[in-house]
Amino acid sequence: MSELFADDPEWADVVPIRQYENVNPIAPIFYSEEYKDATDYFRGIIKTGEMSPRVLKLTEKIIRMNPAHYTAWQHRYKTLIAIKADLEEELRLMDVIATQFMKTYQVWHHRRLLLTAINSVDVAVLELDFLRDVLKLDTKNYHTWSYRQWILAHFNNETRLWARERAYAEQLLDADVRNNSAWHHRFFVVFSSGVRLGDEDREQVLRRELSYAKEKIALAPNNLSVWNYLRGVLEFTDTPFETLTSFVEPYTASRRLASGEEVLDLDNPLPSEKAELPCVAALEFMADIYEKRAGDAIAKAVEIWRSLADERDVMRKKYWEYRIRDALQKA
Amino acid sequence: MSTAVHAVYSPTPADGYITETSALQATTENLIKSHVPPAGESQVELHKRCHFEFLVRNLRQGFPERYTSQDASQPWLIYWTLHGFSILGAGLDDLTKKRTIDTLLALQHPDGGFAGGPGQAAHLLPTYASICAFAIVGRPGSGGGWEAIDRKKIYDFFMSLKQPDGSFLVSHHGEVDVRGIYCLLAVATLLNILTPELLSGVPDFLATCQTYEGGFGNASFPGWAFEADDPESQKDPAASFDPTAPRPPLGEAHGGYTFCATASWVILQSYIDLYYARPGEMPSASLPRRPQINTRGLLRWCVQMQGLPIELGGFRGRTNKLVDGCYSWWTGGCVVLVETLLGVTTHHEPPTEENAGEEDGHKAWDDVDDSLFNRRALQEYILCAGQHPAGGLRDKPPKPADAYHTLYCAAGLSAAQHRVIPSEPRRKAVISAWDADQARAHDNTGFVTTSDVDREKLDALRRETCAHVLSWSEEEGTALYVGGAANRVNATHPLLNLTVTHSDSMMAYFYGQTLPARIPARSRT
Repeated sequence: MSELFADDPEWADVVPIRQYENVNPIAPIFYSEEYKDATDYFRGIIKTGEMSPRVLKLTEKIIRMNPAHYTAWQHRYKTLIAIKADLEEELRLMDVIATQFMKTYQVWHHRRLLLTAINSVDVAVLELDFLRDVLKLDTKNYHTWSYRQWILAHFNNETRLWARERAYAEQLLDADVRNNSAWHHRFFVVFSSGVRLGDEDREQVLRRELSYAKEKIALAPNNLSVWNYLRGVLEFTDTPFETLTSFVEPYTASRRLASGEEVLDLDNPLPSEKAELPCVAALEFMADIYEKRAGDAIAKAVEIWRSLADERDVMRKKYWEYRIRDALQKA
Repeated sequence: MSTAVHAVYSPTPADGYITETSALQATTENLIKSHVPPAGESQVELHKRCHFEFLVRNLRQGFPERYTSQDASQPWLIYWTLHGFSILGAGLDDLTKKRTIDTLLALQHPDGGFAGGPGQAAHLLPTYASICAFAIVGRPGSGGGWEAIDRKKIYDFFMSLKQPDGSFLVSHHGEVDVRGIYCLLAVATLLNILTPELLSGVPDFLATCQTYEGGFGNASFPGWAFEADDPESQKDPAASFDPTAPRPPLGEAHGGYTFCATASWVILQSYIDLYYARPGEMPSASLPRRPQINTRGLLRWCVQMQGLPIELGGFRGRTNKLVDGCYSWWTGGCVVLVETLLGVTTHHEPPTEENAGEEDGHKAWDDVDDSLFNRRALQEYILCAGQHPAGGLRDKPPKPADAYHTLYCAAGLSAAQHRVIPSEPRRKAVISAWDADQARAHDNTGFVTTSDVDREKLDALRRETCAHVLSWSEEEGTALYVGGAANRVNATHPLLNLTVTHSDSMMAYFYGQTLPARIPARSRT
């Protein structure tokens, strides 16, 4: 049984339009019969400007075969609005498509348009829950995270939307401390998007975030995500790197202190037993401290950069040598 | 000698704490490590013939059914293929050029801009791909395609997508995305349709997309600073602007977006110099405060994205994600742009005969090479892991090749082989030969200046932007070909990703200029 629109009497009134008329296109794509048929009919209804329930069927068919067909999405959206379709029903219909095609922009942008049109915090709450499920399948999906951040910012509801986000990021980081998307999300929630309800004491927030980052560094120090987070927090709050000297120093040593030698310091968690030291990010951090101190400390920074260039992080040799040149030039 | 000499192929340390990320990283490292070059560089060959044939197959026979997913990116398929040819050093016959021009013209939307396919909606990304493809196959005069590009309509299309926060939607009802901004700026620069109303707010928007890591995310949230967060509404964009409200970036630092934002930032330098207050100067109504990006943080992020020796020095697109051949261009190719912003790119005297030798000259060569990323290692990644045995280039083994990865691996290889940087003598030569009346006459935007001062500023914008873009040239004596000169590919423009020949020709035409000949290598002073 044919599933082609060409064979469907309901579509007999539409004139299908071939993609290329009078042009022998370079580098053509070998479409399936079904795709060619659907898009011929799509061009037909674009020409007449039709926006009707059957157009929803047509665009759904196209989207399932090519979720990146942004014109089909665009026309679908316009049609939904024109025929006053139930947008929440559309969201539910799109759930399966989102999960199947989660790496495609258009899938997420469509949901964003729907959320904007529906304009309901209740729906936004449901959407955030849906996104949790999607992120379980692909914990770093770029579009999903970007969309999540947009929902939070756009609806901007502290108690119903923002409130659980830091905990959510923490949950993901408990599962995988190296999930950079989750670290970015934490920064988004705590710092880049203004002040959260309950986070008005910025000193306390800073202490909390530094403590959290240090704890994660202690757990697995060779993790660029957490060092970037730490650096980001310090820069955002104009806190000198110098204030973390005692914390960072043990991470620059070649070995841990033997047990018995160490003094428990809650503010400065020591590297875990299995940590592989020294860690490059800690050396870099120390060098940055020395560079900032200036004067005699520059030589110490240079020594670290030299060791990074020659031994510890040779891939970035040119960069570390640039840091040396740059520091000496300014000295 | 390869990085094998320096490298112990140590895996990324996992600190005895395994997570999904570290497990995947370890598996990938084992895979890539098995492609380590055998001792003796000369065995590492770029199989140009194979890659030509891969691209030619697509061009002649067409793309297999799985490319249906690219049906809304047809000009991209064309650009990736044709620019792939340009980099690999193949020319095109006239019939192919003609068919390409006809195909591209079928993608031009009646209301302006180019679409992903005939009858599809116009979109910034296919517009860039189409214009770049035109740069490769087109020429002035009847039948050359360039005359048939409707620049006024493209300009109007761009302006119809403009948002209150300075950004642009990629298409009607589409998303805001820095890729779109890059595509728009590249096209506007190539086609001489730059105006202050087009560029207004763009630098400010770009600056808001930088994340705490130093790279750039895909967009930022405008809704607190600008009342009109909803492009679907018809609110007056001038309604209210709160400069103190946060405009957080959406999405983590990512190679593709970082390239687009950085290239855009470089292109906009002339605009920023003319239309914003100078550093240290008091901002005013006509010269607002200069937006800033954290250039040192950006450099750090870019170089941190280069993989370890065990990853053969390929680039990743995000922290704690896997290396991928296409980031050779997006992230690797971004480093030279950042160097330019930092002011550390200057054409040097070429190395002398004594130190120009291959083997024992490495140290001296390294001293002369100012690149801040590891060019040798990146080439090794592309040559050893990026080439598919059946032709074409790829993300990483054992993935199949595709047109997109073929281009961006080739472009990344080119960026690692050739050091292309702005040349002050070249820029000056373009400026001294500049015909402002011609440039103004060739502007097709319909934009009207209302005072002499504004007209002069716009003349300067055109001249300075054009001259800057045209000034990028290969620094003599700095080419490096891992595997030997037979592996050489052509240089590509770090901002536009077109050959210098193609970008020179197109811009000369659309700016109405006769460009001075590029000074041949040896006689540069």
